[in-house]
Amino acid sequence: MSDSTGKSDGKLLDVKDLKIYYPIHAGVFLKKVGDVKAVDGVSFTVKEGETLGLVGESGCGKTTVGKGIMRLVDVTSGTIDFTTKAGETIDVVPLDRGSMRPIRAEVQMIYQDPFSSLNPRWSVGDIIAEPLGVHMPELSGKERDDKVAWLLEKVGLRGEQAGRYPHEFSGGQRQRVGIARALATAPRLVLADEPVSALDVSIQAQVVNLMQDLQEEFGLTYLFIAHDLSVVEHISHRIAVMYLGNLVEIGPAREVYSNPIHPYTRALISAVPLPEPSMGRPDRQRLVGEVPSPLNKPSGCPFRTRCPLAVESCAGDLPPLIEVAPDRQVACPVVAGDSASGA
Amino acid sequence: MATTATTADGARKKLLEVKGLRTYFDVEGQTAKAVDGVDFFIHENEVFGLVGESGSGKSVTALSVMRLIPDPPGWIDGGEVLFRGKNLLDLTYDEMRKIRGNDISMIFQEPMTALNPVYSIGFQLTEALQHHQVMSRQDARERAVEMLDLVGIPDASRRLGNYPHEFSGGMRQRAMIAMALSLTPHLLIADEPTTALDVTIQAQILELMLDLRQQTGDSSIMLITHDLAVVAETCERVAVMYGGKIQEVAEVKRLFTNPEHPYTRGLLASLPRPDRVKQKRLQTIPGIVPSILDFPKGCKFWTRCPVKEDVCEQVEPELVKVEEGHWCRCHLVSAAETPPVEAPAGEPEGGTE
Repeated sequence: MSDSTGKSDGKLLDVKDLKIYYPIHAGVFLKKVGDVKAVDGVSFTVKEGETLGLVGESGCGKTTVGKGIMRLVDVTSGTIDFTTKAGETIDVVPLDRGSMRPIRAEVQMIYQDPFSSLNPRWSVGDIIAEPLGVHMPELSGKERDDKVAWLLEKVGLRGEQAGRYPHEFSGGQRQRVGIARALATAPRLVLADEPVSALDVSIQAQVVNLMQDLQEEFGLTYLFIAHDLSVVEHISHRIAVMYLGNLVEIGPAREVYSNPIHPYTRALISAVPLPEPSMGRPDRQRLVGEVPSPLNKPSGCPFRTRCPLAVESCAGDLPPLIEVAPDRQVACPVVAGDSASGA
Repeated sequence: MATTATTADGARKKLLEVKGLRTYFDVEGQTAKAVDGVDFFIHENEVFGLVGESGSGKSVTALSVMRLIPDPPGWIDGGEVLFRGKNLLDLTYDEMRKIRGNDISMIFQEPMTALNPVYSIGFQLTEALQHHQVMSRQDARERAVEMLDLVGIPDASRRLGNYPHEFSGGMRQRAMIAMALSLTPHLLIADEPTTALDVTIQAQILELMLDLRQQTGDSSIMLITHDLAVVAETCERVAVMYGGKIQEVAEVKRLFTNPEHPYTRGLLASLPRPDRVKQKRLQTIPGIVPSILDFPKGCKFWTRCPVKEDVCEQVEPELVKVEEGHWCRCHLVSAAETPPVEAPAGEPEGGTE
């Protein structure tokens, strides 16, 4: 589990120009009439042992990025290079089901809703043991039971609870079961899609701490997909911000949070309420309107229709991510110049 | 503005006062005490927050005030809901119907389920207007357009013909607010109005609710939420619920800077604080929220409380006044003076207005 082979440059995941389009068919012959551009050219890397937070509002494509990496949806174009335990770097996009299977053992997922992601008819022991049956068929029944009990204890439950069913657990405990299932195959990368959003405030903190403890113990790498910026800022080393299928800003978590550069990131962060009554948010930037439909994205910068700083040239080409400081990229030529000179 | 809401002696008038409210549900033969002795009041012209986790009883409290508890399996077992001094629990069905919408209206968390999918937005808006205020169809239509305009729905007159599915989530919530405020109610009960929305839309909607309140005069808002940060930004006073009871009530500033109840302290400490120096780990409240059917005897929180003592397991603490305007239900928090005889969240001397 902890046998991390030394690797070229520490990149566990390298996503390049990922596009995921959903075709729209209409008419009698179901002719293709257009695309929903859910993910429209996204590039980022995740280093081994780090947590990358992927944030954005509903419909921005953050969940689709996760599904693309897991190959749960068809990727339209781009590459997703994953470095395996053995030290090989493999592009998972062209892989078929069979050759994807060994990768799946190393990339696991934690889902948002602990009520619908566990089969209610299976005991939690069976739920956790299922990936073991698929990926480690060589284990004996006894070994498998021991492993399940060990995993349950790792996530703060008790081994003897393996015979219980999901409905006997609370939301937070179910999420722990989901985490145990994800850890069963000793993955290197865990995609967590809104793992704490459905939990009560007092339980959220428990699960966030658990995820951090497990990361330390097993050297896990997380892609933490969520909309709650306060939680993401807490758990992530770096944050990537998405808007309407594109990345608009990426950088170290604290810096992105305390000094956002892209106009969308600024508006997003200033909208986050803080539990501090005296403060208020005089700096709050009010965004007008709503996110356009990904069916007909604006040309050029996807944010320009709501951007307070938009200029004519924003309607031209999609702005690329520009490096404004070490490890800090922003997809806005209008503000990037200022920050780069300032930095 | 505040002057209209004070009595002769300078104290603010109470718009709503809930006393000893108990709402129970029958769950497979057992009695679930969802709301079990809740006391609080809301001043005129005030934004009041009711905070709690799932199962704390906050939504049931609101539905009880509106007399919308489905019966069976639920029933209001006792208590009083005094709205401008009148006990709503004594009203007949028809009398209560007149109060709803006109005097008290409510917006819900999921506007898609609260709006009727087979009627246009315009129909649903004008229906309420024509029902409650004798108004011609033309006038109702004009008022509906005006309200949609006010909540920031562009091209309002054309939008009246749209159906709920043609609106986005944020627009549906705006339409709900337009509907709830079109009759200028004295009390708006908002149950998790922004929980299903994105943060940028949440900020818009909260601002809108507060703006409209100023425009429509002296109405009060009861904001029900699990999100302490939303409370901090919008409310003047707040009550924290746990296990079907109010555990602490105070002005928002007091509660956030000087929380007394171990549960309130735990909740505040468990929030990630991006605006402060980074902690490696979040503080947690141990354990889980018990099922509504087996909350413990004694203090509802003792099973998870870091500072509990033997007495907490046996005796339910009373809600006592710890300082002016600040009440707390905990054995370890001492009362300011002598504790009141019975434990109302209102001023001990405060009877019916």
